[in-house]
Amino acid sequence: MAGNRLFARRRDGRVEVRLNEAGRTVAREAFGRVVAAERDPSHEWHAGLNSPIDPSEDIDSPVAALDRQHEISTNAELAYMTLNEQFLNESEAWAWLSTFQIALRSTAVANGLLSEEKLSACEPELMNFIRTIQQFLFGLAECF
Amino acid sequence: MTEKFVKTERPWNVVVWDDPVTPMSVVVVIFKRIFGYSNNKCTQLMLTVHHEGRAIVWSGNRERAESYCVKLQVAGLQSTIEKED
Repeated sequence: MAGNRLFARRRDGRVEVRLNEAGRTVAREAFGRVVAAERDPSHEWHAGLNSPIDPSEDIDSPVAALDRQHEISTNAELAYMTLNEQFLNESEAWAWLSTFQIALRSTAVANGLLSEEKLSACEPELMNFIRTIQQFLFGLAECF
Repeated sequence: MTEKFVKTERPWNVVVWDDPVTPMSVVVVIFKRIFGYSNNKCTQLMLTVHHEGRAIVWSGNRERAESYCVKLQVAGLQSTIEKED
């Protein structure tokens, strides 16, 4: 099984990326969409990136919201910039994991896939994208 | 003789909510990274989220609760804060 792993933690601490070109294309799409969604309020993923912090308030703290926006953008841009790297350092690997997870949840929110029933009934192409991102996340999680 | 009153504030809870797409192992990794909890505690919290739909992952003052909530959202989990009943 070890030979089939998509990511591997090396003895020097770096994370080796073993995605083929098709895998990196999916990663490029996911990271690129997170970068775009954070900048564009009309993007279908934008709402998923701006969920309430304190639902009992009409407006969240602007400082907390700005902090979140900055951190998500920083991670997504770092992930995008390192798309073609074979080895990732700790910060880069964490940026990949966080940005894949943001992409996964944003896809679910944008398509109303908030229950097991809705998820199992979704379009095959969408399901394929979700399953691919989940595989990436399984692989990356093993490195932490 | 004067009476002294200790005014206690109800703590703020950081809540993580379940969703059908996030892998369980990712939730554990995020809890470990953000809170530094043991593997066992992270797994227990993840299972509570999975089975009960939500789990309180941290309690304390509002500023820190808000900060942890933002960190969890930045890592892609659905998280909110609420004042304890």
